[in-house]
Amino acid sequence: MLEFETRKNMYAWDDEVGLFVPFSQTMRAVMNRISSPELSSRESLIDNLKEDFKEEDIAFCYDWIKKWNEILPQNRHIKIPQDFSESVVREFVLKYCLIQLTLNVTEDCNFRCRYCIYSDQYKNTRCHSKSYMSSDIAMKAIDRYFSLLEDGKWYNPSRKPSIGFYGGEPLLNFDLIKNAVEHIEGTYNDFSVNYNMTTNGSLMNTEKAEWLMQHGFKLSISLDGPKEEHNRNRIYSSGKGTFDDVMKNVTLIMDSGYKKIDSIAVLDWRSDLFKLEEFFNREDVPPLSRASLVSDIGGCRYYEQFSKEEKLAFQRQFEDAKERYLEILSDQKERERPSFFDVLFSRGARNTIYGPVSICEYPQIKPYTATCIPGRKIFVDVYGKFHICERVPETFPIGDIGEGLSFKKISETLSKFFQNMDKCPDCKIKRECFKCFALLMTKEGFLTTSKACEAVEIPRIKAFAEALAIAEISPKVVEQLSPYYENVKKHYGV
Amino acid sequence: MYFKLNPECYLIMGRSQGAIFDLIKEEIYPLYAKEARFIASCEKNLPVCGDEDLLKRLKQLCLGNFYLNKSYVQKLRVGTPLTDEQEIGNPPELYRVFLEINNLCNRDCWFCGYQGAKRSMGCMGCNKWRCHGEPLPADKWMKLIDELKYLACRDLYISGGDLTLVWDKTMDILNYAKGKFINIYVKLHEQSLSENVMNDLKGKAKAIIQTDNPYCTQYGDSIVLLTAKPENWKEFSNFIGKNVLVDFVVDKVNALPSESPLISKDKMSANMYTFLNNIKYHPCLGHTLVVCYDGNVIPCPMMRDHCLGNVANGGLYSIFRGEEVEKFWRLTLDKIDKCKSCEFRYACTDCRSLEESLTGKFDGKQSCNYDPMGGKWL
Repeated sequence: MLEFETRKNMYAWDDEVGLFVPFSQTMRAVMNRISSPELSSRESLIDNLKEDFKEEDIAFCYDWIKKWNEILPQNRHIKIPQDFSESVVREFVLKYCLIQLTLNVTEDCNFRCRYCIYSDQYKNTRCHSKSYMSSDIAMKAIDRYFSLLEDGKWYNPSRKPSIGFYGGEPLLNFDLIKNAVEHIEGTYNDFSVNYNMTTNGSLMNTEKAEWLMQHGFKLSISLDGPKEEHNRNRIYSSGKGTFDDVMKNVTLIMDSGYKKIDSIAVLDWRSDLFKLEEFFNREDVPPLSRASLVSDIGGCRYYEQFSKEEKLAFQRQFEDAKERYLEILSDQKERERPSFFDVLFSRGARNTIYGPVSICEYPQIKPYTATCIPGRKIFVDVYGKFHICERVPETFPIGDIGEGLSFKKISETLSKFFQNMDKCPDCKIKRECFKCFALLMTKEGFLTTSKACEAVEIPRIKAFAEALAIAEISPKVVEQLSPYYENVKKHYGV
Repeated sequence: MYFKLNPECYLIMGRSQGAIFDLIKEEIYPLYAKEARFIASCEKNLPVCGDEDLLKRLKQLCLGNFYLNKSYVQKLRVGTPLTDEQEIGNPPELYRVFLEINNLCNRDCWFCGYQGAKRSMGCMGCNKWRCHGEPLPADKWMKLIDELKYLACRDLYISGGDLTLVWDKTMDILNYAKGKFINIYVKLHEQSLSENVMNDLKGKAKAIIQTDNPYCTQYGDSIVLLTAKPENWKEFSNFIGKNVLVDFVVDKVNALPSESPLISKDKMSANMYTFLNNIKYHPCLGHTLVVCYDGNVIPCPMMRDHCLGNVANGGLYSIFRGEEVEKFWRLTLDKIDKCKSCEFRYACTDCRSLEESLTGKFDGKQSCNYDPMGGKWL
């Protein structure tokens, strides 16, 4: 078990069971001694430890450890998998994957955000270009996807297909988006399809907004906060800030009462978190769904511009904001829309505590990390090549519009991925792992986990302590959306 | 000082009482109303006095512990990262499917569904039904078996009518299904059994032998389903044991003896997997489907009036595209009138078919001897 502390309590992460459990000095002492033959009986252990701990506490820990051991998995050592045949991969993909086809409709963008993952700040990702996806490529990719869904319906009839439009700025290729949706609605009306788009919002107008709403698009608007915050990084190629244009267009949708719209915010070490909190509480701003720091994956150079003092100042501000958030958390009523601080602090806590599943056997094909299996999403670049997602280097395609999704390539990619999991078998946070292809893939190949996860436990322990600290103050914040708790608690308010 | 139950211990509140469920030891600890409210307040992190006798007792029983500060105790869950990481759009978890491959029978049993008998375990026995229509051909059943294999269905039940009247077809289907499921069961009336029939099943399926004769011959690892009237409970209860199930034909609940497992506390279990399943699914209807001989799909072999669709000209996948399956699968006891007041609701069983036929209501409940308001077993 991996011990850690909040300010108030001791806990341990049990990676074998996949659960956070209360811990104590007594528990540690009992755990250290219980397997030694001469102290294996309850009485001898109490006798051995009673000078340092209360007898009833020793007895409790002894009984609990004995009880807990009954549910530990029989086979504790998971082997690193080797190869998977194409047929195994195919069945897995048809059953559990294919949740979204993302069309990168253009690599062009009318913004030049300073932190863009497609800027020269990142050496492992592509750069902006004037390339646009052709209608022919889009239609063929869509036909490939629905052909897979047709095969996959026998394995997973409950799947709801989803089409994402991505860029660059997808609205630069709006005609293609319209053609694609019309093609799907005309050809594949057997399926109930969800559409989504991440846009900078600057090219939205009444006509486009009405069409998108009419087709039920889930719209995610990149919005970094109030004008001065947003304009610091989100600029046109001329260097002019984009806030006013974006907000004017977003208002078109917000005023109509359309609900399938949210904001996505990106922060850096100069962000004013308190101003963001205030801004995202405004009714005319789409509710925030995600807030994250500028990504440091893929050979990122973005953070080189910041001084040590700026980094420290941001860290202080972050702690300060968290402190204030925790102070008001216990009195907080349930809100219809989450605040910036809810998203920043509580959502991660919820994922940390309720992300892993306890008492389960990990499938052979997915033994350690939290990664998607290639094929869960299909990202189609402007040239018609299929990739694992929008965040991975484009050097490992998993098919294209000509051959379709290649189970052989997925199988080969998985094999390479697994060959680099050298640290995983001994890792103490296997079930809490968040490493995926996007984090372990470079243009040249894969990082070994011994390198990529060298000191992974230290920040995770910190995240565990922060998550549990939030849960201590407001259990409901972390338990939301858990069917277990919803059902248990909805009657008679336990 | 604070007190919290352990991760493996769930407190469930009823309208008036409560109970603690130790999911590792599979023990249930009923609580009086006052005790339940007190433990509920502990679970809400309200401070307590360290010398409360009840709490000290719970600590001795290794159900919970004292903490100096407000703490968070995450509760034990079960699952798989493949299905729990994203609930929406995951493949259905199909545990058991009944294929009624014919509806022919020359017998006239008093407990048959044909007579409208209200049975507590009629789903496990053979029945014929008052309906018309052509049975699906063998090749259609084989296609359905392929589909069930794709859907990773665990257990398959093949039933009639009297399967021995269509034994060649039964064997063709069984031979095709062999090896594709964890368990395969074939339901046969005792009077249809013969050495030849049992030899045919060897290595392919277990027989479920339908009978009302307590002295019925049990072959190998077959299961006997003993159908009885409530007044014969005392006589029949002696036969309950390994591989013998007792099925009651119930006209009135008050005819059942109070110690019958259908209505007494014997029906409860704090098994971790079933308890946690029951929080999300109906204890019996969840993960179950029936394909009738004419292709109709229903939620339970005995619930003939609830049709989820027909697969005569299509596949099972079409059934899962609608919302009707979810309506039955997700009918947790939180949605059943009497059960939602009961603290034992996730540890309990429920025969929806029997309850519906006894009460005339989809969410009605009669066959239970517990009074959740008074906290007493009658």
